[in-house]
Amino acid sequence: MSLIEVDAVSKAFWIPSVHRETVREHLLGVFEPRRFERLQVLDGVSFDVRRGEGLGIMGRNGSGKSTLLKIVSGVYLPDRGRVSTRAAITPVLELGVGWNPELDAVDNVLLIGSVMGLTLKEIRASLDEILVFAELERFANLKLKHYSSGMSERLGYAVAFKAVREVLVLDEIFAVGDAGFKARCERRYRELRSLGHTAIIVSHDPRIIATFCERALLLDGGRVMVEGTARTVADQYVAMLTQASREVSSATSPS
Amino acid sequence: MTDGALRARLIPAGLVWTLVRTDFKARYHGTIGGFVWALLKPMSMFVVLMGVFSFLFASNPTYKLNLIVGLFLWDFFAEGTKSGLTSLHARGYLLTKARVPPWVLVVTSISNAVITLAVFSVVIAIFLVGASHPPTPAALAAFGAYCVAMMAIVIGFSLGASVLFLRYRDLNQVWEVVLQAGFFIAPIIYPLGILPERFHFYLYVWPPTPVIEFSRAALVAGVMPTTRGHLYLAGDAVFCLLAGMVIFRLLSPRAAEYV
Repeated sequence: MSLIEVDAVSKAFWIPSVHRETVREHLLGVFEPRRFERLQVLDGVSFDVRRGEGLGIMGRNGSGKSTLLKIVSGVYLPDRGRVSTRAAITPVLELGVGWNPELDAVDNVLLIGSVMGLTLKEIRASLDEILVFAELERFANLKLKHYSSGMSERLGYAVAFKAVREVLVLDEIFAVGDAGFKARCERRYRELRSLGHTAIIVSHDPRIIATFCERALLLDGGRVMVEGTARTVADQYVAMLTQASREVSSATSPS
Repeated sequence: MTDGALRARLIPAGLVWTLVRTDFKARYHGTIGGFVWALLKPMSMFVVLMGVFSFLFASNPTYKLNLIVGLFLWDFFAEGTKSGLTSLHARGYLLTKARVPPWVLVVTSISNAVITLAVFSVVIAIFLVGASHPPTPAALAAFGAYCVAMMAIVIGFSLGASVLFLRYRDLNQVWEVVLQAGFFIAPIIYPLGILPERFHFYLYVWPPTPVIEFSRAALVAGVMPTTRGHLYLAGDAVFCLLAGMVIFRLLSPRAAEYV
């Protein structure tokens, strides 16, 4: 049975020729109409995610991967199409940004953990485990504004891996921390999958997709170009990049 | 739908508590001392205004009590609306990362103003008892109802303004100007009676005015406002709340795109 069904989802952003963000700018520019350029980020994307599977999403920068994850996670609304979810989703998007810099690690874990759906009891019970996983026990009472971006991201993974409900949505997984931390993340990911959790992973790394997913999509220009086994899609992605690289080389090389 | 999906759609009490707690800690650096500073602001204003204006209104024996009631309610209105207005932007890091109902972020943002109002209510009661005006249970109940009406007004404003602020980033500055004028439009430092009666209606259009005037009537003068007055206040509160909810419902689904 499909846990998530994405049906003909489209999303566009309107990019104005001039950004106006204040009442003053809008009033001053009332007689200077702006032009808007339509940026079609997703165009009729359809796929489904079955219980217990790992689905990879690949594509070049600007292909719509992150927007698609935000729509699947319920952060953005699609312009057209429909997303049906029959399971709780734990999104891990843009790690290291989703924290309050004025609070210490413990308070941020409580905040993010409860936003991700954990009860306070569950968070308190696993607080030490989260800090150990992130290797931040010594800095538990340090405000996050004093953390490096790597430390914040490690904390993000540690909370997310603890807060997983049924579906884990990961943007650029395993791109954080040193080799030891990456190995711990990969172990924890395998553990979650063996427990039956479903995962959606966005990555530029063919090895990640081929290793941690069974199935994958290749997005280009907001459309699904290829859907198939993770290995096939990873190979297609590499072929696409190679082709694009050749085109750039031939366009820039002197004749 | 699985149990997990159902659970994810509920608003856990833990989330509300954590949002309130973290807001308090971030604002006051997690100390009671920080919170005392927040209390000192209207208290110092009260002392200064009382020092200056009690000479002007020396003939009014209840001027000081009316001033403290007005100032504390105004402080709640001003602080609550300012926090509410910027709430979605300030918590944008949650809005863009997780599926959290945006209205929870807005409503919990006024929690600090509510805590301050609760403390001030005790201070007001102490002042009233000290001035030989102990409030009756009926007066306290009426004051509680007026505070609820004020909360509905603040929440309504916050819901509407918070989504508009994401599109118009200088709304907080506009609101500061409105609040500055509003402080003098509401009869806080002067008794409403010094103005010609034909202006009273216009002053009552400004939402804090009926709350302040009715609270003074119940707590200080010991006189209950008329049923018509109560209906006006209830209508005012419901209108503000509904207007805010409508704007919020229209604009909040795409709020994350504007953070």
